[in-house]
Amino acid sequence: MGVTCVSQMPVAEGKNVQQTVELLTRKLEMLGAEKQGTFCVDCETYHTAASTLGSQGQAGKLMYVMHNSEYPLSCFALFENGPCLIADTNFDVLMVKLKGFFQSAKASKIETRGTRYQYCDFLVKVGTVTMGPSARGISVEVEYGPCVVANDCWNLLLEFLQSFLGSHIPGAPAVFGNRHDAVYSPADTMVQYMELFNKIRKQQQVPVSGIR
Amino acid sequence: MSGVRAVRISIESACEKQVQEVGLDGTETYLQPLSMSQNLARLAQRIDFSQGSGSEEEEAAGAEGDAQDWAGAGSSAEQDDEEGLVKFQPSLWPWDSVRNNLRSALTEMCVLYDVLSIVRDKKFMTLDPVSQDTLPPKQNPQTLQLISKKKSLAGAAQILLKGAERLTKSVTENQENKLQRDFNSELLRLRQHWKLRKVGDKILGDLSYRSAGIDNSISLPCSLFPHHGTFEVIKNTDIDLDKKIPEDYCPLDVQIPSDLEGSAYIKVSIQKQSPDIGDLGTVNLFKRPLPKSKPGSPHWQIKLEAAQNVLLCKEIFAQLSREAVQIKSQIPHIVVKNQIISQPFPSLQLSISLCHSSNDKKSQKAATEKQSPEDHLYVLEHNLHLLIREFHKQTLSSIMMPHPASAPFGHKRMRLSGPQAFDKNEINSLQSSEGLLEKIIKQAKHIFLRSRTAATIDSLASRIEDPQIQAHWSNINDVYESSVKVLITSQGYEQICKSIQLQLNIGVEQIRVVHRDGRVITLSYQEQELQDFLLSQMSQHQVHAVQQLAKVMGWQVLSFSNHVGLGPIESIGNASAITVASPSGDYAISVRNGPESGSKILVQFPRNQCKDLPKSDVLQDSKWSHLRGPFKEVQWSKMEGRNFVYKMELLMSALSPCLL
Repeated sequence: MGVTCVSQMPVAEGKNVQQTVELLTRKLEMLGAEKQGTFCVDCETYHTAASTLGSQGQAGKLMYVMHNSEYPLSCFALFENGPCLIADTNFDVLMVKLKGFFQSAKASKIETRGTRYQYCDFLVKVGTVTMGPSARGISVEVEYGPCVVANDCWNLLLEFLQSFLGSHIPGAPAVFGNRHDAVYSPADTMVQYMELFNKIRKQQQVPVSGIR
Repeated sequence: MSGVRAVRISIESACEKQVQEVGLDGTETYLQPLSMSQNLARLAQRIDFSQGSGSEEEEAAGAEGDAQDWAGAGSSAEQDDEEGLVKFQPSLWPWDSVRNNLRSALTEMCVLYDVLSIVRDKKFMTLDPVSQDTLPPKQNPQTLQLISKKKSLAGAAQILLKGAERLTKSVTENQENKLQRDFNSELLRLRQHWKLRKVGDKILGDLSYRSAGIDNSISLPCSLFPHHGTFEVIKNTDIDLDKKIPEDYCPLDVQIPSDLEGSAYIKVSIQKQSPDIGDLGTVNLFKRPLPKSKPGSPHWQIKLEAAQNVLLCKEIFAQLSREAVQIKSQIPHIVVKNQIISQPFPSLQLSISLCHSSNDKKSQKAATEKQSPEDHLYVLEHNLHLLIREFHKQTLSSIMMPHPASAPFGHKRMRLSGPQAFDKNEINSLQSSEGLLEKIIKQAKHIFLRSRTAATIDSLASRIEDPQIQAHWSNINDVYESSVKVLITSQGYEQICKSIQLQLNIGVEQIRVVHRDGRVITLSYQEQELQDFLLSQMSQHQVHAVQQLAKVMGWQVLSFSNHVGLGPIESIGNASAITVASPSGDYAISVRNGPESGSKILVQFPRNQCKDLPKSDVLQDSKWSHLRGPFKEVQWSKMEGRNFVYKMELLMSALSPCLL
């Protein structure tokens, strides 16, 4: 349980997603990071069913139901800018029962899969973001274990990110700035992933020329 | 007469009321006139019943003599009254009072006549003779009161006495009942402590730890040990009712399974060398004296508690031996008969054995002759009991109600791990599947390591006097970790030589040494490593002490090295060295101290003090004679002084110029 920063790594020029990921992992291995299996974060989008909407024609809020292999017994349900619910994995079954209120958006499942690396107190996860069959981008998650206050270790995280991302260092995630010296929670990680996925979804399929 | 002035005459009516007294100022106080009834009473008082002749009343003849006396009294009283009234009441009509008196006398006579006629019938009233020696009638009312009081008091006392008698009777009855201790009340008491149920015409009880809860209907599984652990309650009837009942007689008896009889305990010990394989499994069983019963607790309680203890010990042992077989370790655990043998460290053997002695004489005899000094590890034995109870509690709490309907079954923390988003590491820590045996072996390792560390430090402290080693053990420690603070000092110089302070954290398999300056050194369980480390630290201490001393004495430190690269190689650690120069700069002392080679002290003299130095052709000028010349070794063992630092102080002060 530490502070996590999730960022997107642009695909290197002249390379495809796969190659860029390989490049990154090789860098990590050269740093001395230890490979520790794989990880997976997935996200499914639900929108409020038409029957429950008011006649004013207001747009239904989108709800994202996410899972993270780092928290294997939990299920996260988030609204954009809204509350984040952490529940048992039984929540998925509940969502099926709530069909009348929340309907799964078709072909909305987006997920990132990759390798989990441990480097001293840092936990690095480099994953390929896929939506359906197509790879859309690269996610890089770095967790610093010993700290729980985001602002106290942001500089450290930044420095570590520089060491293998080079010039593509991200800005501080929005969740860090929300509350000053508040304790970082797993929900914050999921919010970052949600934002990342939304960003990638909006990018459309422009830069995937590299995929064969 | 007419010429005479008229005289005023005041006429007062005659005082109708009697004057009681005349005050000093002339006022008169009157008596209130008597009311009718008072008057009657007064009149009656005047009658003297004792006097008088009784002849005229013929009717009284039937009555006794006393009655005649009374009758006679009536007439004389009449006369008295007559006179009294005439005297005091001059009335309008001269015979009026006489008439009144006669009339009243007639009334009284009539009444008397009536009374007498009733008395004569002896139907409603009788006349009894009054005893002669009665007290004079004036004292009579008081006496009567006294007598009646006495009588009523006596009555009350009697009632009280009766009640008291009844009470004492019931108390003694109660005591008798208690002595008798009937079966049912015993059964009730038994039921307060033990779980009982009726099967057919038998009453069975439960000894096992299988279930918790008050009632059989809501029993929660606790222990998974398959022993049924039932005992039977029987009525003790084989007693001769005619004979005196022995004091410890109890109408209720319990019958426990034969394999739970006697006493048992778990013995944990650590031995240095492994015994012959033929020796295995013959852990001597000796009978410990049965625990003394608490006063007032019935004997079945002791019996059942002992049986339950046997059951618990058996369960612990069963659990341990199951784990010993299942767990794969580098050196496999051996389970032989009633003993489990494991090797936590090489050439060290941890044996856990179940000692169960039944009450028969044979085993007792065998035990008494083999009463060797026991090497029990009571702490571990206690911890084993704690662990099995914790295990029970865990199995109990895993299905503890109330439980959310939607949540998965399991431990509470496990249940919360989903909604609280526990990550992988936290979930792993929850699922620690460490068994009883592993835990107890770890504890044994720690205990052994701790005691050996203590022994090492103690032996070093007693062997080496200079410098001194002090060990401060913490009183409170974890089952897997404890710490000790080691100080190395020189006697008499504790204030200035405080450079070596070590914190030894003794874990399960290793010792972490935290140096004062923050260095962390990890030592293995080997005894030699710690000893070598401490020896090298002690040798360094001496050089540090010289450095501190130089500071105090005003000497200058020219060079200092903890680890000298030159000179003979030490087998343990490195030698350390220091060179200090006197305040004037004339002399220099060089100290080299190695853990094995010991200390070597050299003094450098100014050139002019060295006679045997050949005259150099180059250094002709006299100023060069102030240069320091060659080193000379000090025969340190011949120096005076009780320890190294003291000797050094003496040496330094000898080489410093005298200020006087």
